[in-house]
Amino acid sequence: MHPSIAGLVSHAPLRVAGLSSLILFLSIALFAPLIAPYDPQETGSPYQPPNAEHRLGTNDIGQDILSELIYATRVSLAIGFMAGSISIIIGATLGMLAGYYRGRIEELVMAISDVVLLVPGLPLMIILAAYLSPSMWNIIFVVGLLWWCSTTRVVHSRVLQLREMPFVEAARSLGAGDGYIMLHHILINCKEIIQAKFALAVASAMLTEASLSFLGLGDPLNISWGEMIHFAFSRGGFANDMWWWYLPPGLMICASVLGFVMISMEPERSQKALEL
Amino acid sequence: MRGRRDYLLGKLIRYGFTLFLILSLNFALPRMMPGDPIINLLGENALHNDPEMIELLRAEHGLDQPIHIQYIRYLCQLTEINLGYSIHKNLSVVELLTSSLFWTVLLVFPSDVFGSLLALLCGSLAGFKINSRADYLLTAIALSLYTCPAFLLAMLFLSLFAFHLGLFPLGNLTSGGKEGIDYLLDVVWHLSLPVAALSLLGGASKFLVVRNSVMQISDQQFVVAARAKGLTEGRILNKHIIRNVLPPFISMVALSFGFMVSGALIIEIVFSLNGMGTLIYDAVLARDYPVMQGCFFILTIFVLFANFAADMLYAIADPRIGRSS
Repeated sequence: MHPSIAGLVSHAPLRVAGLSSLILFLSIALFAPLIAPYDPQETGSPYQPPNAEHRLGTNDIGQDILSELIYATRVSLAIGFMAGSISIIIGATLGMLAGYYRGRIEELVMAISDVVLLVPGLPLMIILAAYLSPSMWNIIFVVGLLWWCSTTRVVHSRVLQLREMPFVEAARSLGAGDGYIMLHHILINCKEIIQAKFALAVASAMLTEASLSFLGLGDPLNISWGEMIHFAFSRGGFANDMWWWYLPPGLMICASVLGFVMISMEPERSQKALEL
Repeated sequence: MRGRRDYLLGKLIRYGFTLFLILSLNFALPRMMPGDPIINLLGENALHNDPEMIELLRAEHGLDQPIHIQYIRYLCQLTEINLGYSIHKNLSVVELLTSSLFWTVLLVFPSDVFGSLLALLCGSLAGFKINSRADYLLTAIALSLYTCPAFLLAMLFLSLFAFHLGLFPLGNLTSGGKEGIDYLLDVVWHLSLPVAALSLLGGASKFLVVRNSVMQISDQQFVVAARAKGLTEGRILNKHIIRNVLPPFISMVALSFGFMVSGALIIEIVFSLNGMGTLIYDAVLARDYPVMQGCFFILTIFVLFANFAADMLYAIADPRIGRSS
């Protein structure tokens, strides 16, 4: 093994494990048509237990569960990534503005994030998702819009420290504008926090999406893992103890979320980022 | 005591503002969202009426009036505890909510207590003996629970302990036909599995926070001093470290209340308990918007009050609050 790779593995084993599991999931998503044994839309004889032809059996309309599981990787990861990106962009921008400019902006941003933190997330998301038509984009939008508070708080407290540092003062005395300082000095120094928070935001977004889909608010055209469990639950798969229908998507959710959480862990300050 | 009064007043303003926003959001959503507000306010079944009837309903609910008059009307209705009517279930929303809320609180409250105690116990143990075998084991368990969606854990519990081992009932709140102490024990038996699932879910995220705070405090000088004084490890942990973890722990427990309620909704559905979760689930499937909104409204108020109570407790528990300002 290459020395630097070996060094990385021993330095941050959890990160490497998380990263490799995500690469695995990403390749499943990318090469879904090549891996999946059947077309997930194709129907056959329903409620088959696992057998040689259908490794994980078939669902209520006779679709191959393994193929459905592989294609669902795409939907779950895409929703997680995009909702996570929206929340991180909002969170980091607000956190930077509040921490850098302070004053009125800071008060306003903190007050809004206090309010959003107080409102129970899932019920509000349920209502929004129920009013909007069930589509993947609406779920991304709803989840992304309500998950930014913790990022804002962490970035804000980091920027508060940074703005008092000598190099920021030096840049300012050299005539650098606010925009320049924020982009080239503050943002760069928040990079690690933002990266860790992004991984956690994707993890939370995937869990929230799974809950919304489990409630039947998912996109019927883009089946995700959570939605597979919804169908297994509402169409007799769970009541008839067909574990091969609901357990694999559940384990996929756990494994991918765990992958994202592990990426966010820093070797010396493990789980620090999980706190907020 | 001026500082403390200012602190409480500040909190009160914050909660009042949040309450106002929630009320406004609840008012705005059905009128703002795509689709006819009459459907959003009365549920999809309202459209089965003939056009004249729909116009009549529109007038009756004041939807033909300007928006500010509608808003005042809405606030007046709230003071009369009127949250609208579910055409789908043929009951007023308040009536539907009252019994459901009771069961949800009965699920959330013990779970929050058990989960928090579990987190405090295991978290301080793991944080105190950092990088020990016990720490690795507990952290691994907490992480797997943290990544597990609520419904999956509930389904696994139900399938394993109730379906395969037959130790617990498959769902519902009571077996029926029981009275007095038997009835109470029956409810406890029915609730133990969902409470266990929710406690573990809530405990997992709190565990990680407690573990980290204990770890950080263990490094501080006063702990070294206590150890040099010859205090036993148990005494250091109980009297010096946990003392310092408690105030932030209390506020975290309060803030996690919304999360617990969200988890309870999902768990209720899996265990088919007749709480808010099941009510919301049915409402979502039937697109019964008045019920959904009523649920959201009540849950938010409930979470707000719980947080407010915790903030007050916090101010009493930590004598330093308000002193510095």
